[in-house]
Amino acid sequence: MAKNLQFIEQNIGLAHPINQQGNSKEIQSHMENEQHSLAARLAAGEHAAATELVDRNYQQIYLFMRRLGHSRQVSEDLTQETFLKAWRHIGQLRDGTALSSWLYRIGSNVSKLYWRKHKSRETSYTETLDQPDSGITERHKVEYYEQLSRLKIAVERLPFKLRQAIVLHYMQHLSIAKAAEVTCIRQGTFKSRLNRALKILRKHVSE
Amino acid sequence: MKEEQLKKALNELAKAGEEPVHPDLAEDIKHHIPHTLNPHKRGMNTINIIIDLRINKLVAAAIIITTMILLAHFFSGREIPGDSIFKDSKMLAAYFLRGNANNSDLSAVRSRYKYLLKRGEQAVYYGDKANLNDSRTVLLQWKLPDGNYRVITGDWQEKTVDAEQLIELLSYMLQEK
Repeated sequence: MAKNLQFIEQNIGLAHPINQQGNSKEIQSHMENEQHSLAARLAAGEHAAATELVDRNYQQIYLFMRRLGHSRQVSEDLTQETFLKAWRHIGQLRDGTALSSWLYRIGSNVSKLYWRKHKSRETSYTETLDQPDSGITERHKVEYYEQLSRLKIAVERLPFKLRQAIVLHYMQHLSIAKAAEVTCIRQGTFKSRLNRALKILRKHVSE
Repeated sequence: MKEEQLKKALNELAKAGEEPVHPDLAEDIKHHIPHTLNPHKRGMNTINIIIDLRINKLVAAAIIITTMILLAHFFSGREIPGDSIFKDSKMLAAYFLRGNANNSDLSAVRSRYKYLLKRGEQAVYYGDKANLNDSRTVLLQWKLPDGNYRVITGDWQEKTVDAEQLIELLSYMLQEK
């Protein structure tokens, strides 16, 4: 497994740098202002702001649902439910700059409720794993696919809280601070959750 | 496998799992968003106002439960001796909000209160606000199936009283405030 992973790293490279730090402080400040303004418009009940919120975030929320293990159809439904809940409960948003974290929090709750209601449902999006880029031999493609599928299954078998931590930080690329905010726990607790999840994953993929 | 490799593999998994989102999804969502905010918002705002006012949760719960008891009486057709529902509720609310916390060991009574609530009983806890060592001070009350009330008083006695007696005790507590 380790050998194959090294191979993947060398040939494909990372999709996103882990723990993206963002750009300059100015851009970050501008984005925060924008979020704050959008949150204020949402709180005022402006419908156009709600559609803007959807345009800006629906892809991320959809992928979040997929990565939590929901099927395409269910992910679409849950994405829709997330935005409808956000709109209905916009009055609960306290900090306008935390709009995206808040949206992820609603998404997490929507997903958790779905799993609770459908305990017997198996997670499934293995079929959607893309093949690696060109320049890799067929044998390596197969190995790549197998290893990622194995890791994916291991992620899906994690308890919800641990899976959520892995997905938020390593797949949705949220910083520890932001991911902790989404899960309403302290950063230290979130890190410990991540460590536990990584430990379990390491054990599963090494078997 | 090393931790770093695992983290990078997770990153790769995220990339591999990326897929085009249904082109109509955004439009579908927008289509379902109501043009006016759902009444939920108003309700939640009211709760948020209570939170912002930093009203003690126990006090808020006691006020709500007391109101429910009074309403239950009202809808069951039984008349409550004494003042009107509104006046009673107002007096009780004033009593609670003024506060007179005595942090003596009331944990047993509080535990009993929690237990009663878990059982779905109509219980009201006054302990944190009540003057202790007074036989006419009610620390905890809950409604019995026969319409009477069971109370634990400041002298740690437990007894059954009817609605009229309970109102008397509560009026006494209000006067004492």
